[in-house]
Amino acid sequence: MMKEGMELIDAHFKGEGVSRRDAMKMFGAGGAAMLMGSGVATEASASSSAVKAKIVIIGGGLAGMSTAARLTNSLDNPDITVIEPGDLATSYQPGQTLVGAGIWEKDAVMYNTKDFIPSGVTVIKEKAVEFDPDNNSVTTSGGKTLKYDYMVVAAGLKLDYARIQGLGIEGTITSTGAHDNVSRVIGKNGIASIYFQQGSADTWREMQKFIADAKSGKRVKGIFTHPNTPIKCGGAPKKIMYLTDARLREAGARENAELSFYPNGSKMFGVQEYHDAIVNQFEARDMKWNYRHNLVGVDPKEKVATFTRHWQEKGEWDEDLEEYSIVMRAETVKKEFDFLHITPPMKAAEEIGNSPIGSSKGWVPVNKESLQHVKYPNVFALGDIAAVPMGKTGGSARKQYKVVVDNIIAMMEGQELTAKYAGYTVCPLITSIGTVMLAEFNWTKKPTPSFPLDPTQERWIWWLLKVYALKPMTQYGMLSGRA
Amino acid sequence: MKKTVITTLALAAIFGLNGCGNAPESSSEAKTYSKTPQQVWEGKCFKCHGKNAEGLTEKKTPAMNDRQAGELELDLYDVKNDGLNQSSGTEHDKMAHNMKKLMEQGWDYDPKAMAQFIEKSFYKMPSKTAQEPAVEEAPAVEVAPEAHQAS
Repeated sequence: MMKEGMELIDAHFKGEGVSRRDAMKMFGAGGAAMLMGSGVATEASASSSAVKAKIVIIGGGLAGMSTAARLTNSLDNPDITVIEPGDLATSYQPGQTLVGAGIWEKDAVMYNTKDFIPSGVTVIKEKAVEFDPDNNSVTTSGGKTLKYDYMVVAAGLKLDYARIQGLGIEGTITSTGAHDNVSRVIGKNGIASIYFQQGSADTWREMQKFIADAKSGKRVKGIFTHPNTPIKCGGAPKKIMYLTDARLREAGARENAELSFYPNGSKMFGVQEYHDAIVNQFEARDMKWNYRHNLVGVDPKEKVATFTRHWQEKGEWDEDLEEYSIVMRAETVKKEFDFLHITPPMKAAEEIGNSPIGSSKGWVPVNKESLQHVKYPNVFALGDIAAVPMGKTGGSARKQYKVVVDNIIAMMEGQELTAKYAGYTVCPLITSIGTVMLAEFNWTKKPTPSFPLDPTQERWIWWLLKVYALKPMTQYGMLSGRA
Repeated sequence: MKKTVITTLALAAIFGLNGCGNAPESSSEAKTYSKTPQQVWEGKCFKCHGKNAEGLTEKKTPAMNDRQAGELELDLYDVKNDGLNQSSGTEHDKMAHNMKKLMEQGWDYDPKAMAQFIEKSFYKMPSKTAQEPAVEEAPAVEVAPEAHQAS
């Protein structure tokens, strides 16, 4: 592995015109902490600007706080306010899959927001509740009204478990906020969900019971769902299934468990190459899948999941289309489970979605390249709440925050907005304990590998990347606004 | 030694995970189209979506003159790609099917260019008073009128 790793890294640095020796000399070696101090470990940053402006950032998660940090680095006189009520909002969400499978402890993904506030940035621990973009102002839950020259919306999204009947859940939650209403039923009786922090820890406990049952000789059924809304980290519903498979094999109990994936959609991945690879991986592991099933209800006592199964039938000849139209059909189907992993429906916060900066679907509509709002030129959006195709991953946010910062500074200086987001996103698809397929892609819907290796292969080196390198990368790279 | 590998990996990640960071300058698809958005609109789209993109009740088609390009493009992208996400599916089942057939007939377009054409030609800024009730209804609408995902 060592060899593979070094060759890979050499190949990469060679592409950049740097030898490994030089690279090592440049950075020294020993711990990711050095990345903090090394100003070299950055991409060319927008040059320091002396223009003054008041910038308000809605949301202090990974996207919002990285934007605040980079603006702080790039402006001579930064005047930045972040509106964020959550103590743990900056947490490392990509690690929740690993917590759910018992590879990490929950502590490993918990970051205190206060530890990541760039110096000089003001944080208001309230929620932004009213938006008046015509007057460049926003009002908080505590009744403060803030005026801004530029606003960045990075408010993330809401997990809407309440849309699933039978769970008795009301209202939405976020991945790190209060979750009592959800935890009363999820994280118990074989019902699990890694999409919120406590849920990920509870998933591991429930998964262990499921595995123990299988090991005792009981025939058990595991169901993994994927809803009909856009979701953050589109791969996580599958990753937790792969990890359940791996843990069952480790326990020598795989043959007693039936594992089935029930997604609303009709494919595994939007990029054909990755779709094909995943289908092969599912087949090789005897993991089953049933497309076009949307989870609409759960009976926690009887352990029955209710789905709307939908399909298409040939309709009448359509003269305008010059083709047969289709008719949508649907029926309700019920499935028993011993272990159910729920990926909840997701949506933008109502107070933003329904405001003038929102849209009919809630997501903040932006030009998908410049990330500038379609109606309000001094408003930008990024991260989960931005209405851009695919995206909704930390990998997308890592590309987007630099574009937003460059474009805001360009606008402040009266220049053209030239920075463009190209749709890059990455899904390190965990396929077992020890292997990951590093699915990188963009709007061309083709694989866009960063390294000269077949991107459809599962590799140990990507496992190391996922488990050891990506966390320091966000912690020291992104959240300091550098990489 | 393990530490070195991991450190180097972290570095490689920072430098490397750029997914061809030199993004294509152009928009979503590095592809050429035989027809302009206007030709596609005048040849096909208007028949079902109306002369002014207002949507036709008898065809149960949604209006397209009520959104600006950035928002419209997301819908067109969903239609053309049969969904925006790995396995969420599309919000436009019927139109995704129709679009597949239209593309087979040669009526293909770049979502960004088409969205811009529709905005430029037909966009009607909703008046403040008219906008509010429509927005309030929005969250209840799971999907566009054409979708039939209800049980």
